[in-house]
Amino acid sequence: MTTQAAAPPLTLKYAKTIGIVNNGLNGRGFAYPCDLAVSGDGRIFVMNRWDKAPRVGICNLDEDYVGEFGGGYGKDAGQFTLPVSIAFDSEERLYVTDEYLDRVSIFSTDGELLETWGAAGSGDGELNGPAGIAFDPDDNLYLVDQRNHRVQRFSRAGEFLGKWGSHGDGPGEFNMPWGAALDSGGNVYVADWRNDRVQKFTPDGCYLASFGDPGSGEGQLHRPAGVAVDGNGNVYVADWGNERVQVFAPDGSLAALLRGEATLSKWASEFLAANPDEKVVRDKSNLIPDLPLHLSSPYQVSSQTEPYFWGPVSVKLDGQGRLYVTETNRHRFQVYDVA
Amino acid sequence: MSSRDMEMMAHLMRRAGFGATRPELEEHVARGYEATVEKLLNPGDPHNLPDDVLRRYHVDMGESRFLDTAGAYWIYRMVTTENPLEEKIALFWHGLFATGYAKLNQARSLLNQIEMFRRVGLGSFRDLLVELSKDPAMLVWLDNNDNHNGAINENYGRELLELFSMGIGNYTEQDIKEASRAFTGWTLGNAEYMVTRSMKDSIWPYGRISWHFDFREWDHDDGEKTFLGETGAWDGDDIVEIICKQSSAAEFVCRRIFQFFAADEIDGEGEEVVADMMRSYFESDYEIRSVLRTLFNSDYFRSERSMYKRVKAPVEVVVGAVRIAGSYREPTLEAPQLASQALFMGQGLLMPPTVEGWHEGDEWIDSGALVERVNFAAQELRNVELPGVQDIIYRLAHMNGGTLTPAELVNGCLDLMGPIRVSDETREALTGYVARSGDVPLRDDDSAEESANRVGEVLGLITATREYQLA
Amino acid sequence: MTSNGHNRSLVVIQLSGGNDYLNTLVPYNEGLYYDYRPAVSIEPEQVLKLDDQYGFRPGMEPVKRLWDEGKVAIVNGIGYPNPNRSHFRSMDIWHTALPEDIGNEGWLGRAIRELDPKGDNVLTGVNFGRGLPRALGCRGVPVASVGNLETYGLFPDMEDESLRKFALETFAKMYGGARGGDAVMDFLGQTGTDALKGADILRTAPAVYSSGVEYAADPMGQSLKSVAQVLFADLGTRIFYTQHGSFDTHSGELKTHAQLWDEVAGGIGDFMDDLKEHGREDDVAILVFSEFGRRIKDNGSGTDHGSGGIAFVIGGSVDGGMYGEYPSMKEEDQLDGDLHFNNDFRSTYSTILEDWMGLEAAPIVNGRFESFDLIKN
Repeated sequence: MTTQAAAPPLTLKYAKTIGIVNNGLNGRGFAYPCDLAVSGDGRIFVMNRWDKAPRVGICNLDEDYVGEFGGGYGKDAGQFTLPVSIAFDSEERLYVTDEYLDRVSIFSTDGELLETWGAAGSGDGELNGPAGIAFDPDDNLYLVDQRNHRVQRFSRAGEFLGKWGSHGDGPGEFNMPWGAALDSGGNVYVADWRNDRVQKFTPDGCYLASFGDPGSGEGQLHRPAGVAVDGNGNVYVADWGNERVQVFAPDGSLAALLRGEATLSKWASEFLAANPDEKVVRDKSNLIPDLPLHLSSPYQVSSQTEPYFWGPVSVKLDGQGRLYVTETNRHRFQVYDVA
Repeated sequence: MSSRDMEMMAHLMRRAGFGATRPELEEHVARGYEATVEKLLNPGDPHNLPDDVLRRYHVDMGESRFLDTAGAYWIYRMVTTENPLEEKIALFWHGLFATGYAKLNQARSLLNQIEMFRRVGLGSFRDLLVELSKDPAMLVWLDNNDNHNGAINENYGRELLELFSMGIGNYTEQDIKEASRAFTGWTLGNAEYMVTRSMKDSIWPYGRISWHFDFREWDHDDGEKTFLGETGAWDGDDIVEIICKQSSAAEFVCRRIFQFFAADEIDGEGEEVVADMMRSYFESDYEIRSVLRTLFNSDYFRSERSMYKRVKAPVEVVVGAVRIAGSYREPTLEAPQLASQALFMGQGLLMPPTVEGWHEGDEWIDSGALVERVNFAAQELRNVELPGVQDIIYRLAHMNGGTLTPAELVNGCLDLMGPIRVSDETREALTGYVARSGDVPLRDDDSAEESANRVGEVLGLITATREYQLA
Repeated sequence: MTSNGHNRSLVVIQLSGGNDYLNTLVPYNEGLYYDYRPAVSIEPEQVLKLDDQYGFRPGMEPVKRLWDEGKVAIVNGIGYPNPNRSHFRSMDIWHTALPEDIGNEGWLGRAIRELDPKGDNVLTGVNFGRGLPRALGCRGVPVASVGNLETYGLFPDMEDESLRKFALETFAKMYGGARGGDAVMDFLGQTGTDALKGADILRTAPAVYSSGVEYAADPMGQSLKSVAQVLFADLGTRIFYTQHGSFDTHSGELKTHAQLWDEVAGGIGDFMDDLKEHGREDDVAILVFSEFGRRIKDNGSGTDHGSGGIAFVIGGSVDGGMYGEYPSMKEEDQLDGDLHFNNDFRSTYSTILEDWMGLEAAPIVNGRFESFDLIKN
């Protein structure tokens, strides 16, 4: 690893929760959100993966639900089957990967389908389960090719530029990798999901470092899904299998650990106002209960503990000092102020 | 290995599991019958498709809100496990301690109950009943959250004695009341909120919140109780202990195990096997594993008196076909449909119709259910792209020089699908189907594809036979 | 027509998920409605007015037309005591006509058993959709569940028709004949033979059907087209069942509810036109119901599970009009924030069973309930 100045100490302060479960075909709320991206004007685009009605929902930090798009579930142009990750390029075109269709769909912020590309296979430029995506400042796209256990680099038009990685657990090898992010220097970070680590590479794919090792202790990872890097080089990891978020300092030491502390979103409060029978008994409940031993795995604890992260799949930073943690199983995201 | 050994092993695997492929059967036969019984009874690592892989792919398998994906999760386990008896015994207890989604709206907690059956389902009946009495899905299902000190709700106490452990006629109404008192205060955490959500099927605001056991000491009646003639300050554990000692409990559980694993009806010789099973129950401190060992190793089980004497349950039809065909070994988009298929055939996993469970035996069969059974299994086995089907084709292609007469093909398919014994009429009908297009050249390059399809058609038709409906 | 109902059929349309009563028959002159529904209401000018108080939501024009013709009975405030707000449980209650206990027999399954006690016709009851609704389930009562009428029966996925025919012949051979006194094998043989017979008969229906009505392509339209095909084939079917949804509009209700009612009302309108074209308008009654209504107060985007609902009985022999009371929205009249039901759903069932199907209702619906006088004599 190259020598870096020590990063300033990191504090993460919980700000708010946005979301509510949505079990319909449209409207306010989220349905198994799997990723989000923040546009330049601060709108938050949330990818909902629910197979009955996958769609992109749009809201803002004031919790206004301002729109949604997508052609629904299916294989046709503009439709989604198993969407995974979304990201904006420099012109605010929204890229969506679909791990079932092996393609990338590109939308305007108005929801117009601009382009799709991608073909199934294992050859150069071909895809087998495209997952995380991230752009460099020149709009080159790094795409995690999950079941080919590699990273590929494309032009934003989908032209193949390069690749690295193969199946395995050595340095530079992957086992079903998921999320990806770039730091300010263009280095690439990949959540190497089934190897329980995050790997760091140069823009050309030379291995630089690895964060985390398998386990549930502090600084250990279990099935990391998402990754983000701030301007100081801190590495934020959605530690999916441990149902938490961990932040590593550039030197690999643990800088922060979040378990989640969700509160009622505006929409959740509106729901409870319309359903006082639930509010009355909820207010008397302990939402962080003590649990019997056989329910002590992080998954079980989160399934019983509503404020905690459950299925934290993606971490995103907005450039305004905010961290967004998307929780698939809770249909919401939690926002933290980074300082 | 003799064909008799193979036939007997196929029988064991249909009952202790969901049927087995030929490569699996060969492995078991080489190990020997009783050694295989021991392996089934003492499960190791199941090597099933891991939870993390399933939850990443099937996005609802995390929250487990939907009944079809929750059912599909269990079916994946049944399809990919190397410990089939672990799943089969869970299915048995699920049918006996029938807890249903319709009242609970809580699939995650039902899956936790099934996981409990895996954990203790082959062990002591005492541990099982104690865990069952603390299982939050069961507590809500039978209203024990409304069973209070000074104001008992008898529902759980009654069904525990009548449907879960002893059967009617072996206790009094007073025993029910006394047992119910002992279970006062056994409830779930945040019971009022959880039950309100459950009653309204509320997923709001942030999706399902799963359930856990909670003991409310202040709501527990710790006074003296007289239960089945024994007096003391009994709590729920003591009630279970007293139940397990009863001969009626041993008989109840052994009969139900016999009917699930050996034969739908218990005949005179079957009664003798049940008596042996009851002896094992008491000698082993109520261990279910010992009861099953006695059954599986009995002459009765290993004979015509047991073979084909059960109608397959829908879940056995679905999982059996999928295991033979080799599909759903990896995450597959259509998996939730497997649970729906079983429902269409009359067995909704995690949704038994009432606390009495499913009506089994020939009550599984009506014209609509039969059509669903046949259509599902036939479509699965007719798909020659699937690895299990391809293995069967490969094996057939290496018989008799690769070109089979219609009769040879039918015999070969019946052998590799089971072996399955069929009547002469069935065999003739199947052979007649194949004979329409003559011999089947499986290694002739020009016609191999067509021949493979013809094998698929025969496999599909075998699933349509009357005999295939039996286990 | 005979008064014992032998020529009369019942078509049940289940609105799954909990149809929002207030936004179906809108009390557009009630200020409280707009007070409680700041986000999810229908403006007075959009309402299809039936009188100076109530009107249908937009999209229900075909039902409004039938209303104007006097063929639509609206059952207001339908429900049952101690309303259950869980989808599964409440639907179970509607299906088994047992609000207090968990029942084993569906009310329509019992009706079919009365209509055809020996089970002579396996098509007395036909469900359109996969899986049998509990309403039709009754031990020993065969009911056909039809996913797709064109391919109904065994081996629907075999595309080669001649192969499929041969497979079916093989199946017939394998299931024909007794098996030496083995009761289970004989039962299987009989059941398989019945299944073949039923499928053969049902599949003839589309071939003999012709109509000038073009149904919409959505599942509701297609299901009702299948109902018409089987009805006109005169196979002796008396009870048809189908469902549409999901009406569980917790979010984005305005858009979703509009589309659902477009489909349901459009399907009903087309089906009634089809009946008219075939001279069968007076032989069919349609029952439309849902497991519950929804909360009076909206949640900012949709509405949550409530009680107190609306049902419709539609047909040429129906005496159109309002039945039951539209429940008051005043706070003191509400039931835990919901519309308070004022008539038991088993009254409507009893009316249909007795006055339309000519059956004794009490044993089917588990008790005696006052009928509505909504069937013309």
